[in-house]
Amino acid sequence: MLAVAVLVVSIVLFSIASATLWWMMHAWRTPEVLASTTFGRVDGETGLSFTLLLPIRHERQDVVENTVQKMLESTHDNFEIVIITGADDPETTGIAERLAQIAPEKIFTVIDPAPRNKSTGLNSALLSGQCHGDIIGVFDAEDVVHPELLAHVDHAFRSERADVVQGGVQLMNFYTSWYSLRNCLEYFFWFRSRLHLQAEKGFITLGGNTVFTRRELLEPPPGHTERMKPGSTIQWGWDEYCLAEDCELGVRLSSTGKKVVVAYSPEMVTREETPDTITSFIKQRTRWNQGFLQVYKKGEWKKLPTARQRWLARFTLSTPFYQAASGIAVPIDLAIGIFTKVPIVIAMISWLPALPALLVLFFELAALKDFSTEYYGKEQPDRSHKVGLGTYIKLIIGTPFFQILLMFAALRAVWRELRGRNEWELTAHVGAHLVAPAPTKATTSV
Amino acid sequence: MSTTLDRPVERAPINKVTEWRFLGRSVDFWLCAGITAVVLLVQAWNIAGYPTVFDDEGTYLAQAWAIDHGVGMAPYTYWFDHPPLGWIQLSALAWIPSLIWHTPGELVVAYSRIIMLPFTAASSILVYVLARRMTMARWAAVLAVALFGLSPLSVTLQREIFLDNIAVTWILAAFVFAYSPRKHLWHHMAAGLCAGIAVLSKETMILAVPALCVALWQNVHKDTRKYSYVGFVGAFALLIVQYPLYAILKGELYQPDNKVSLFTGLKYQLTRPGSGSVFNPGSDGYTILHNWLYYDPVLITAGVVCVILSLAFRHLRPVAIAGVVLVLTAIRPTGYLPAMYIIQMLPFFALGAAGIVDKGVAFLLNYKARPVFWQQVTRLTAVAVVVVLAAVYVVPKWYARDSQADTQDLNAKYTRAVQWIHTHIPHPGNDRIVVDDTLWLDMAEAGFKPGRYDIYFFKIDVDPDVDNALPGAPADKWKDLTYIVETPYMYDNASASAIPTVFEAIQHSKVVWTSGPGGVNSAIEILKVIP
Repeated sequence: MLAVAVLVVSIVLFSIASATLWWMMHAWRTPEVLASTTFGRVDGETGLSFTLLLPIRHERQDVVENTVQKMLESTHDNFEIVIITGADDPETTGIAERLAQIAPEKIFTVIDPAPRNKSTGLNSALLSGQCHGDIIGVFDAEDVVHPELLAHVDHAFRSERADVVQGGVQLMNFYTSWYSLRNCLEYFFWFRSRLHLQAEKGFITLGGNTVFTRRELLEPPPGHTERMKPGSTIQWGWDEYCLAEDCELGVRLSSTGKKVVVAYSPEMVTREETPDTITSFIKQRTRWNQGFLQVYKKGEWKKLPTARQRWLARFTLSTPFYQAASGIAVPIDLAIGIFTKVPIVIAMISWLPALPALLVLFFELAALKDFSTEYYGKEQPDRSHKVGLGTYIKLIIGTPFFQILLMFAALRAVWRELRGRNEWELTAHVGAHLVAPAPTKATTSV
Repeated sequence: MSTTLDRPVERAPINKVTEWRFLGRSVDFWLCAGITAVVLLVQAWNIAGYPTVFDDEGTYLAQAWAIDHGVGMAPYTYWFDHPPLGWIQLSALAWIPSLIWHTPGELVVAYSRIIMLPFTAASSILVYVLARRMTMARWAAVLAVALFGLSPLSVTLQREIFLDNIAVTWILAAFVFAYSPRKHLWHHMAAGLCAGIAVLSKETMILAVPALCVALWQNVHKDTRKYSYVGFVGAFALLIVQYPLYAILKGELYQPDNKVSLFTGLKYQLTRPGSGSVFNPGSDGYTILHNWLYYDPVLITAGVVCVILSLAFRHLRPVAIAGVVLVLTAIRPTGYLPAMYIIQMLPFFALGAAGIVDKGVAFLLNYKARPVFWQQVTRLTAVAVVVVLAAVYVVPKWYARDSQADTQDLNAKYTRAVQWIHTHIPHPGNDRIVVDDTLWLDMAEAGFKPGRYDIYFFKIDVDPDVDNALPGAPADKWKDLTYIVETPYMYDNASASAIPTVFEAIQHSKVVWTSGPGGVNSAIEILKVIP
């Protein structure tokens, strides 16, 4: 009986882990695939206009100013910046207004009358009539945007006839703590590889920033000024009731057949920082997981045309939860195999799921090498931190503990969703990814 | 609908290997199918009659039988002589012979040899595909398969149930995957996996793994190389490590005092008495080499020369390295040289030789060639002369030996011995019979209970489990034995010092049947022990 249970559990876990491995390594499958994940060569022309939304909340002036300055350095000739603040946050609104003076013809401000989360802010901007660009892009307060990004995105929209372009986002501060190292690598695999597969298969969960969407896909229908309510039939903008509005938008658009293009080049990714404490990491992860649950329940993905895509949707949206499940099951499975009296064959099958997991770890070590050359290597401007032997060891040792964090966040998300708690928990930004480190007094933004 | 950016490449241009699809191109498919069919026909014909059944064949087959019957890894104590994956595969294929032949009285080991035909077929196809992936011409690929499968050495050794043949199939598969034209990460992982299966089928195949790494190095793309190697090494290592893990689970990774353990097994294999230099007449190594040369001097000589020459050519180098490493290991004077060791070299000899011929012909036809009619004719004539000379030298030799292999029945006396036992001892009850491993499965079929009443002679006095099952006092244990089937192999090995009980029993026995004149030097005798 125990033997049969071990057999079934092992085979299921093995299949899940193998599929995850398969998808995680998508970009490196063949040299052609790897080459196709980067931005194309820009033809020098620009044809589209951009509106860049920058929602900020309880933010320090220097952090936001740095972000806005970087945006203004863009080589693209046709863009505007809309800074969004909340009515309940006059201090930040003041900052926004001061920043708008830098380039009054390019920077506008919008005040969210009833701020609840990032989505309400973004939707307020859509309703304000300040968004004139063909393409609407979203950035976060602490993002470092590459000057050539817009030109590349412009090119991608035109050459691929895309409806949505997702650029790469990369966490940079691998050196801050053991979990930030793992967190950075997670992003590396997600934006460098996995997201491309999701786009190819026609089911994608977008990221929170460096997302560019054609304006008409976001705007409310003409004359419609009412905000979206849960269950309302007219869907526009970002879902204000979903904790992972970015994921929801991607699912909604790709489920109706909109073409999403993902492009990643190391020099053009948006650089970000990991949450500064384990608590805020857990909070952020809980919010995403709970958001994934909400998107699953909302069921937009059921509109996907093929059964394969719907299976991918189920699988993708439930990732955090089977991750948690295997985090518990694999050690138990292994322990049963080793310490109890089951036939040797069963015992050997019991460590089957550990094999793809170990391969994942090996590939992570290889990817850490790539990460370090692409971001902190000899030819990079930033050589402030080096990936050394210690970093690799930290990565290995951190594996089970990071699993525990993920597991905890997944369980917490289920718990909160069952209790009906779905307010936002904020993530603090300290600017740890900026080359010139900012003072460490924490500020928060969404 | 969504897609990733599908655009011309910005980074290093991708080195597009000639897109070559096996099934897509009918010429390749039919050539490969044709030559494989010929190899199969020559090897399958009279497979049970030639060559003489070999004790090891019976051992591996008995171990496969043990797995099939849930006895364990072996009918006796599994002592980590080899990793078990080879006979695990045999046991998975055991239904094939029993489907075709199942009349009692047939020699089980001999007719079970058809298990090897799927491996031969797979190896032939893989040699063809590998040759093509190594950029050889079609005719050269056919030549490689012909050398590999039709050499009298192959026709003799590839028929036998040897773990080496299984390992060869898997290492060839690993090479084919390493040469993936699409440079696909999963193919490179599959290469590691196949190499792992090869090594766990026959551990000596590890000698070919460095060459496989070179093959992979030549075939990966700079941008994905790191991941390809991680996948390859990871898959290989994670599979290999299952073997020590299995030993740990059994509590037999290490045990002191030469008790059964993986460590003891490895120590045994690595410290087997050396066979002496193959160049020293009178040594075992010399005898083994000349045994091989007796079957086919052509492939061995040509193979050794060609793998050395092949080192000079980039496309042939991985195969050349494998061949050279295996040859160097064989001629080292101190080590132990197994009688079937040459099997592992055959594919590399064949590919090396075909590769050099390919290069040679290309040289004769194209080197500084100008489109002058008479020059073209001269070049073609030169090639034709070389081909005819080689054919005149090789074909008659091979034809004679191969037809011998397809007609002679060297196992008739074993079959008759088995039939005599079937008819004369119909109900063996608790009688004990001592046999060598070539007959062990036949005795199990004849009604002798496997393991304790149908006893492999090498296990008495060696395996305590077998010894303890004999009720008599140590000095009288020979009296518990009823029959002995004494084959020439047993006669050679049953010394008073190594296995005294068997020796003693033979001394107190009378011959009840003999396969022919000449005594146990050449005939099989069935002895009844007289206590």
